[in-house]
Amino acid sequence: MDSASDKDQKWEPKIIAFLCNWCSYAGADLAGVSRFQYPPNIRIIRVPCSGRVSANMILDALKAGADGILVSGCHPGDCHYISGNLYARRRFALLKNLLEFIGIEPERINFSWISASEGEQFAELVREVTTRIKTVGPARHLVKEIG
Amino acid sequence: METLFSQTTEAIRREAKDLLESGKVAAFLGFVKGSLPTVTRPFVARTPEETDKLVWNGLCVMNLANYLPGLLKSLEPPRRPGEPPPEGPLPRVGVIATGCWSRNMVIQIQENQMDRERLVILGVDSHGMIDRRKLEVLAGGREIQSLEETDERVIISGRDFKMETARQEVLRDNCLTCVHPSPVILDKKIGPTVPERRVHEPFARIEEIERMDAGSRWAWFQEEIATCIRCYACRNACPLCYCPTCFVDDSHPQWVGKSIDKTDTATFHILRAYHCAGRCTDCGACESACPMGIKMRLFTRKLQKDCLELFASEPGLDLNSPLPLTTYQPEDPDTFIIAGSKKQGTQGGSEK
Amino acid sequence: MSNPSDRPKGSVMVVGGGIAGVQAALDMADSGFYVHLIEKSSAIGGRMSQLDKTFPTNDCSACILSPKLVECGRHLNINLMTLSEVLALEGEEGAFTATVRQNPRYVDPAKCIACGTCAEKCPKKVPNEFDLGLGKRKAIYLKYPQAVPLKYAIDPDQCIWLKKPGRCGMCQKVCPSGAINFDDQPREIQIEVGSVILALGFSPFDPSILDFTGYGRLPNVVTAMEFERLLSPSGPCLGHMERPSDHKEPRRIAWLQCVGSRDINRACHGYCSSVCCMYAIKQAVIAREHAQGPDLATSIFFMDMRTHGKEFEAYYDRARAEGVNFHRCRIHSVLPAGHDDNLILRYVGDDGLINQEEFDLVVLSVGLEMDRQAAELARRLGVELDPNNFVATSAFRPVSTNRPGVCVCGAVSEPKDIPQSVMEASASALEASRVLAPSRWSETRKKEYPDERNVWAEPPRIGVFVCSCGINIASVVDVAAVTDYARTLPGVVFAQNNLFTCSQDTINQMAEIIKREGLNRVVVASCTPRTHEPLFQETLRDAGLNKFLFEMANIRDQDSWVHQKFPDEATQKAKDLVRMAVAKVRQDEALAYNTVSVVKRALVLGAGVAGMTAALSIADQGIPVVLVERKDRLGGHARKFYRTWQGDLVQEYLKGLCRQVEGHSHIDLRLGTSVERVEGSVGQFKTLLSDGSKVSHGAAIIAIGAGSHKPREGRWNYLYGKHPEVHVLLELDKRFIKEDPALKEKGQTVFILCAGSRVSEKPYCSRVCCTHAIDQALHLKELNPDMEIFMLYRDIRTYGEKERLYQRAREKGIVFIRYDLDNIPKVWDEQGKIQVEAKDPILDRPVRLHPDMLVLATAVRPKVDADVVSRAFKCSMTSDRFFLEAHMKLRPVDFATDGIFMAGLCHYPKPMDETIAQAKAAAARASTILAQDAIPAESITAVVDHGKCVGCGVCTMVCAYNAIHLDEDSRLATVDTAMCKGCGACVAGCRSDAVTLKNIGNEQIMAAIEAAMEIC
Repeated sequence: MDSASDKDQKWEPKIIAFLCNWCSYAGADLAGVSRFQYPPNIRIIRVPCSGRVSANMILDALKAGADGILVSGCHPGDCHYISGNLYARRRFALLKNLLEFIGIEPERINFSWISASEGEQFAELVREVTTRIKTVGPARHLVKEIG
Repeated sequence: METLFSQTTEAIRREAKDLLESGKVAAFLGFVKGSLPTVTRPFVARTPEETDKLVWNGLCVMNLANYLPGLLKSLEPPRRPGEPPPEGPLPRVGVIATGCWSRNMVIQIQENQMDRERLVILGVDSHGMIDRRKLEVLAGGREIQSLEETDERVIISGRDFKMETARQEVLRDNCLTCVHPSPVILDKKIGPTVPERRVHEPFARIEEIERMDAGSRWAWFQEEIATCIRCYACRNACPLCYCPTCFVDDSHPQWVGKSIDKTDTATFHILRAYHCAGRCTDCGACESACPMGIKMRLFTRKLQKDCLELFASEPGLDLNSPLPLTTYQPEDPDTFIIAGSKKQGTQGGSEK
Repeated sequence: MSNPSDRPKGSVMVVGGGIAGVQAALDMADSGFYVHLIEKSSAIGGRMSQLDKTFPTNDCSACILSPKLVECGRHLNINLMTLSEVLALEGEEGAFTATVRQNPRYVDPAKCIACGTCAEKCPKKVPNEFDLGLGKRKAIYLKYPQAVPLKYAIDPDQCIWLKKPGRCGMCQKVCPSGAINFDDQPREIQIEVGSVILALGFSPFDPSILDFTGYGRLPNVVTAMEFERLLSPSGPCLGHMERPSDHKEPRRIAWLQCVGSRDINRACHGYCSSVCCMYAIKQAVIAREHAQGPDLATSIFFMDMRTHGKEFEAYYDRARAEGVNFHRCRIHSVLPAGHDDNLILRYVGDDGLINQEEFDLVVLSVGLEMDRQAAELARRLGVELDPNNFVATSAFRPVSTNRPGVCVCGAVSEPKDIPQSVMEASASALEASRVLAPSRWSETRKKEYPDERNVWAEPPRIGVFVCSCGINIASVVDVAAVTDYARTLPGVVFAQNNLFTCSQDTINQMAEIIKREGLNRVVVASCTPRTHEPLFQETLRDAGLNKFLFEMANIRDQDSWVHQKFPDEATQKAKDLVRMAVAKVRQDEALAYNTVSVVKRALVLGAGVAGMTAALSIADQGIPVVLVERKDRLGGHARKFYRTWQGDLVQEYLKGLCRQVEGHSHIDLRLGTSVERVEGSVGQFKTLLSDGSKVSHGAAIIAIGAGSHKPREGRWNYLYGKHPEVHVLLELDKRFIKEDPALKEKGQTVFILCAGSRVSEKPYCSRVCCTHAIDQALHLKELNPDMEIFMLYRDIRTYGEKERLYQRAREKGIVFIRYDLDNIPKVWDEQGKIQVEAKDPILDRPVRLHPDMLVLATAVRPKVDADVVSRAFKCSMTSDRFFLEAHMKLRPVDFATDGIFMAGLCHYPKPMDETIAQAKAAAARASTILAQDAIPAESITAVVDHGKCVGCGVCTMVCAYNAIHLDEDSRLATVDTAMCKGCGACVAGCRSDAVTLKNIGNEQIMAAIEAAMEIC
């Protein structure tokens, strides 16, 4: 028991973030330029648009062992590709609900809009998401055991 | 005994025969009796004579829309990929459609899988189809050797028993919550009109699951799919699953492993359901086809509920409304979006 | 002086690096001219970079502006000269010599890596003028985070060392790249150019001279510009919206309109500043968003609500519906409440009673005025100013100054909003290039690259370059460990740590290493690809590698800078990021540098003033134009116009224009013809016309005009069509043109403005009618000074310098009576005599009028065939059925579909000068395509695996660019590579995994995900 709780104490979540190139990735850069600090648990994958992010990619990250997911795009109306984020919003709404429905903790799957000028908001978002994911502990449900 | 089903069967035979005789269609897709008293099977009548075999009853659970694109294609002259379709009208097919099947046909037409012009649709309002498993439970595991159906009752009998029950008691779950029994596209109406139903709490089971905590939901999900043998009968029965290479068979990219590993099975069910998002009409063919009795309809039903609640979208009701994932509204719900820019929800952090 | 028979210079000087100057520079450079862009501050971006959001779309200003600035900063044919000013301009059109002084930056831009260490350590804090003094910066500073060029500068007025050498020098000590140069000196440079574009911008009005506002005395009275910074996430309070006195969030905010505008008495500016009504509404809406909901009270105090632009009226309606309060009154004075630094406003309410209301913050909607330095520069250059001190232009030559070869754009010639400025910028580029056309491409530069090595069959040989960025990365991340780790990754054959990977010597070395080690993939672990990817990709090309065989790991902006206290975790993260980049680059493929060859011909649709101007603008450059007009004659809507608001007669001008078009050797005129079908895409359109001919063209301009609404029925009918003396505006113009003598005999004329506009059936404002009607009234007064004229109106919208007509009308005794929608005027016929009854809101009683003539200002309405054109060109329309531009702010004449542009009334109602400017802008934008033999196309595009595609068409529906369609024969999805922008919406939408994005494929993303999760 001791060793388990010991292990849980040391555990740090691994978070995969899909950020759109034009707004959210730029917002993440601005957080850096402004030196806003946030927890180091996040691994960012740059995609052209939040509309590029599919359900498969999110499931794949969960299967690969991510404890949480963050997808962020431009605010509605700001999409560099006109409407990518608006299609994405529909896909994400359904996917997030479905994953919750089958028992994935809602805290693990996170969607947000961050603009290129929202550096502090990005840092705050990562803090919040990291905290949320920590409250539900290591992911166990969809993680594929290898070997 | 004269029942609605027997009358409808006669009418279907008559119409189908007429269509084939007059040459209006090259084939007619309906049902014939199956090898067991509790099943029917889809059947393609190609001659007027064959229409005498057609039946219509509460056991017609397989979704005929599923067979249409393939049947239509088989009637076209063969051509190489990329070769233009031949000039002039192509052979047509007659088919029976209930509410949900017709809506699948609408989606197949919207998704360019077939042309409306090539279909002659005999529309039948659905009285609800019977769940074979509920009959088996009723029979207590004894072999059902015959089945009789009246408008309101179902009578089964076997070697040492004969039992009677209200149809309502043995209908499929999806038929119990169906609100659109009438076909939305048709060329001729067969049989009486069933009024649009008002179902009390159509999503009761979904809401019950939603009310559970995450752990219990996961346990339920795991239990539900525990017996899955990855036979893909559910996928094969579905008129919406028509990709040439299904993601489960693809190795570039390989989104899901091929084994019955717990995670792979879960991934299969999640993605299968998600691929039907905004398209599933709750026809129940997947559950009816499953040899293991998995209630995978609940996954698509959840998506159906969300599409209705979030996007006011019910798929396949008309040919001109785009499917919900191919469109958007600027004001679509976004309460699930956690926004760093808005203060809502960001107060939790203790950092200053 | 140069010999006049010489060819003109092939270069241009653009003065002013705001959005107008940047757009003009880009359009010039893209159409084959070398551009010197002169900016007086340390970075381009201008006023727009200071804004938080922009109306009417609420776009983030920085988000939409940045890509243009970056493009401008990187453009091979734009010489960006910051901290520079023009001293003199000699010579003439085609051959000017400009003298430019470049002031010292004291920071070597070639060495500065914008790490910010200097500013962090600089001891001297000074008010930040970018935040209008609300925040602080250091004496060494970056103008703003997204500044272009992204280089620090030393403020010589504040720097301790520069004032007393030897006293500080902290920045020099800490700069990791040795970029500080205290000995930097001003330089005077002579530039030879063929033409000049002035984009000098404006200054916000300084309200401190208006004592009633309390500005300067009361801390919680701020200007709108200051409020922008208070709202901005990158502003002094990081977007938390705090008021200055106590940094508390205000709960009640008031906006006072027309501060420094429409005020001859106190502010000396009689004109309307055009933009303030909209920006105030926007600020109220955004402030409410910041405050989350209805408990923020917002009140706007105004005289006339001027929401005269595209989608503005809808924005106004929405703001009202959302609870922004609007009070129609001018505030006499802002008083201190005497507690909590709050403020009291007294005003007359709708009920006629005096109200007193307390606010936490008062925002002054300050107007726009001519910048003092800009005015001096204009005088130095011999450019005339108008009575309001703006650069003088004329209706038919809206972007030309009195000095040939010197063009003008943006707010320096009249207050105007961003889209109008951008439009004029493109128009001025066209005007500036007209004479220079023979010298196109004569001074531009083109980069040559070596042949690329084919690496297709080679196993991956990956090189990893890990950057220390001085100490920016190395002080947190163990870069040596990351470099060692990189060597262990599969496919990596070379790894090296560099102090500054982006320094010129390292870049050269990298090219050498690529060749020496036979690398076929490169990863750079350093800063962000958003700024540095192009530089490293260029290096790959120089070394003979395809530039798409490259990935970056962002271990500075997204690692060392944000995890400064966690070196172990940051190092681990850097390793992960490198591993992810290596996993992805391993699967990268060489991509084609796609281009599309250009058919050098334009199709212009519609031969009104917009269409003819556009056609001539292109044809004059020697590019053939097919001008298609549905009717049998030229001229369009303008045939009915008497004069412009500036007073120029339209018919004479129109005749001249028609003559030029008819006689032009490069214009192929097709009257009585319409468009049947359009195929192809930018560079290669094929259009079938109703005469059966098929036209190949590289670009198209749609200028099909609009009509005027005739109220034949309904509550706005007002005897129209029933009484011979009831007209719509243009019918009265027709009588002016004919010089109808009966007009002089009229004793009384009544105008009803907004007759059927700004109501639910026709919600938009037609922009031109107020000015047009008032000008007509003035003309009637010219014909018969004794005529009684009444104008029944809702808001008078004589925006910009048109306000002077409104003033003159009141001086001439024209009576203005306001009505609202609850009490619209009543009109009836009493034995052949027109009767009008309106309710006077000031007297609060009905006024009965018996006019001899009634004029209805009705809406400008879109053409019925606009829908047909929209379908043929697959371009979108607004809900009001005007054409929808690619971006409301920054691409006002472009359609979302490349290669198609719009001009004139089919875009939105607008007066003649704006129509001409827009037509020239459309011609300029089309010229950026038509001037090229081939245009670049996106390389990272979608590609369809036909073996997997089932032709369901989902991809075609989610594509915003019509770049994917179902092939007619195979019925499978097919990408039009020239139109694809590489967003990947189709990829995520495809259930069958049949579509993928080159080098951002599903398997590459999977590889990155799996690499991220690997435990090392």
